[in-house]
Amino acid sequence: MRLKGSLDANTQNVLENKAKEAVDAGAEYLLLDLSGVDYLGSAGMRAIHAITNLLSPDDPSMRSPNLKILNPSPAAAKVFKTLGFDAFIDVHNSVDEAIAAL
Amino acid sequence: MLLKIRASLKQLSRIRDFVVDSVTPLGVSPASIDDLRLAVDEAVTNIITHGYGGPGDIELKLENDGVDLIIVLRDQAPSFDPAHAPAANLEPPGERDNPGGFGVYLMNSVMDEIRYQSSDTGNELTMIKRGVVGKAVPPG
Repeated sequence: MRLKGSLDANTQNVLENKAKEAVDAGAEYLLLDLSGVDYLGSAGMRAIHAITNLLSPDDPSMRSPNLKILNPSPAAAKVFKTLGFDAFIDVHNSVDEAIAAL
Repeated sequence: MLLKIRASLKQLSRIRDFVVDSVTPLGVSPASIDDLRLAVDEAVTNIITHGYGGPGDIELKLENDGVDLIIVLRDQAPSFDPAHAPAANLEPPGERDNPGGFGVYLMNSVMDEIRYQSSDTGNELTMIKRGVVGKAVPPG
């Protein structure tokens, strides 16, 4: 999924709903390309958190191998790290790299 | 620099743009601009969703003394002190059924000082980032 615009409290539900549609349609893996995202705040992180639960509801390791984040801006990468999400969601800087890691 | 807005999530992008446009000419570094934008967005989101929960007005004031950047947010919503928000639960996502506290955690991590005051006339949230004015490397 290629995201564009701001990921804030106004758009959090849009992402959650699109991801849910994809999972309901049978998607087992999701690549979220953030290169077009100019803002990521806590609301966006709650959406990403909800997506990890959608994709890996029973994973005892708590890691989310089926979700990869692509091309975050420096600001978005900092939010990821500050909230500790980098410990369980992989962040990549190219599609090939992310797919190879699946 | 002063901005008055309605308490609506649709105003968030306008507020973020205002922060960026206001502090960029002050020579604040791009990384610190990101921090200020984040703190204001999180604070305003809290006022809208936890404070008002409906219509209202929010006033944002940006001040600087040549060194520090001071953000003041005023509203007349029921009191919501971010310091009393639930703590961020930083366990892995499978443990977090209902994640909360991310916003306040982020605000505290990017700002140097946060003060909250509530009175009969409304609430005032002051957030300070020290030593950021005039720190950006000039282009070229």
